[in-house]
Amino acid sequence: MRKGRIAVMVILALAMLMAFGSAPGYGAPAKKIRIAMLMASTIDDMAWSQSMYDGLKAVQKEFGADKLEFVTSERMGNPVDAGAAIRQYADQGFDIILAHGAQYQSVLMELAPDFPKTSFAYGTGFTTAPNIFAYDPQAQEGAYLLGMIAALMSKSGIVGIVGPVESGDAIKYNYGFQQGVAAANPKVKVRIAYTGSFGDIVGAGELAKVHMDAKADILTGSAQQAVGAARAVAERSGVYWMSTDMDQSSLAPDHVLAAQVYHWETVIKSIIDYRAKGIVGGKHLTLTFADGTLELRYNPKLVGRIPKSVIDSVEKAKQDIISGKLKVELPKAGGK
Amino acid sequence: MGGISGQGVIVGILATGIRLATPFLFASLGEMFSQRSGVFNLGLEGIMMMGAFAGFMTSLKTGSPWLGVLAAIGVGAILGLLMAFISVTMQAEQGISGIGLHMFCWGLSGLLFRVYLGFITSCKGFGPWNVPVLSSIPILGPILFQHNWMVYFALILVPVSWFVLYRTTWGLKVRAVGTTPQAADTLGVDVNAIRYQCVILGGAMAGLAGAFLTVGQANMYADNITAGRGFIAVALVYFGRWSPVGILLGSLLFSMMNALQLWIQVLGISFPYEFAVILPYVMTIAALAVAVRRVWAPTALGKPFRREAG
Repeated sequence: MRKGRIAVMVILALAMLMAFGSAPGYGAPAKKIRIAMLMASTIDDMAWSQSMYDGLKAVQKEFGADKLEFVTSERMGNPVDAGAAIRQYADQGFDIILAHGAQYQSVLMELAPDFPKTSFAYGTGFTTAPNIFAYDPQAQEGAYLLGMIAALMSKSGIVGIVGPVESGDAIKYNYGFQQGVAAANPKVKVRIAYTGSFGDIVGAGELAKVHMDAKADILTGSAQQAVGAARAVAERSGVYWMSTDMDQSSLAPDHVLAAQVYHWETVIKSIIDYRAKGIVGGKHLTLTFADGTLELRYNPKLVGRIPKSVIDSVEKAKQDIISGKLKVELPKAGGK
Repeated sequence: MGGISGQGVIVGILATGIRLATPFLFASLGEMFSQRSGVFNLGLEGIMMMGAFAGFMTSLKTGSPWLGVLAAIGVGAILGLLMAFISVTMQAEQGISGIGLHMFCWGLSGLLFRVYLGFITSCKGFGPWNVPVLSSIPILGPILFQHNWMVYFALILVPVSWFVLYRTTWGLKVRAVGTTPQAADTLGVDVNAIRYQCVILGGAMAGLAGAFLTVGQANMYADNITAGRGFIAVALVYFGRWSPVGILLGSLLFSMMNALQLWIQVLGISFPYEFAVILPYVMTIAALAVAVRRVWAPTALGKPFRREAG
């Protein structure tokens, strides 16, 4: 009899543990969410794609692998391949399909109506549809702050941008960077050049060398090609790199002064939250300093080289961006 | 021009151009031997990728970019052997098998990178080695003599290739096998053996070209690092009309235009960047269209050798 009662209690306890024990963290979904992510480069590109992949991993860690499953398709630069893969994922019943790039907008617009219960998301972009989310990092905000640091730290008075292709994120980033430089020291020149490629790290390295030969002493650039430029900067002394998308200081620990970091976790979680509320798309999700999805991170190894006055004025500008007092402009026509 | 003299800019453009020409020189000169013997290898891009990976990985693990170069040459030669087996022994259609080899290498390099490393990091590469005396010559010194050794080596390979092709018995056999294989065969030249040697040499040099990208230029590796350079190298063999000097001119034209457009952009000269980045391609096509009137090609190019067919 007593044995029986203990057994029942143990079973009850176990049942409770099963029901509540794996105490769902904030916003963890009731049923397992399946996410597929497509990208033009790879999950280890140390830039745009990896930042999103790391975000997915962080959310999975928080929710548990039994609550969130995700798969990835890499090297989907070709929209035809991407379209086929997206359709396959949708057919397989994935809940959320992240097409991580501005170039996937049109293919999503075409496919999404066929799968009304599936949520699609892409970015950088702002055009949505009933089941398409557009995410939109306000890259210009961090760019502005990095531009200020560059302007205040440059000795030669010339800073160089190694851009990929003049579109989307890169336009916003470059535009913000220029404003930051102009605000901090209008005498400092910003030189912008593009490699014409998102992934050619060798070409980006060569462009960085040309910038440095032409006396630029602080460089920056976006997209995965930029890691090649960061590496080229690391070869020379007295020059620095400002990184964006993610913290690239592991690649050039003595040359990356500061980084703008994207926190995709919040974006992924808000898409999951929307779905839980029955909203499968139609939202334009921005990443900003105000909501904590963008972060300015100094390289701890080099932060001592940045004068306190510089950090103070940058931090003040950051607070002004957060409070809305300072509005970093975007180009009138551009900014896909 | 902001802090840099006009002369400095010109020196900068020419020095950058020479450096950019290096991987094309390696890959195109190797491909030239291959095509001269009658086999065109469209897998060059993929072999370069594998060479780039082998060079990077070896340098990363051993700390020696020299071993990296050797590994890249070895990997390139093995892939050349594979291409030779497919196209010479198995007599497969060369265009298709080359593309197949490229796809194979593209996938394999990505897979190996993921399995053995899985994150982007930097490796030890070659720094510049200034040639004593010559590097201090004004203007010419910084343009030609302040690079790493691989750049000099690529330039030296131009006359060496010319000599081998036109002044050695082996070179004569290569040319004979690529134009009149039946006749060469009757004279006792082992056509397939020569083709094997040339395709393997071409593979080894493509591997070397790949290693230049990782240990001579970028000092790191990322997926798809060649970004189409292998295909440009194949085109430059046609551009250079299968001669080392022509290939040198083609590589320099393409790379100088590339260097020029980089500098135009960096100096902020008002010029749409979209046009700037296609400039090298447009100029090369234009030069090809204007200059190459009489198109000469090894007559047996692309044709497998069958003794009984003669």
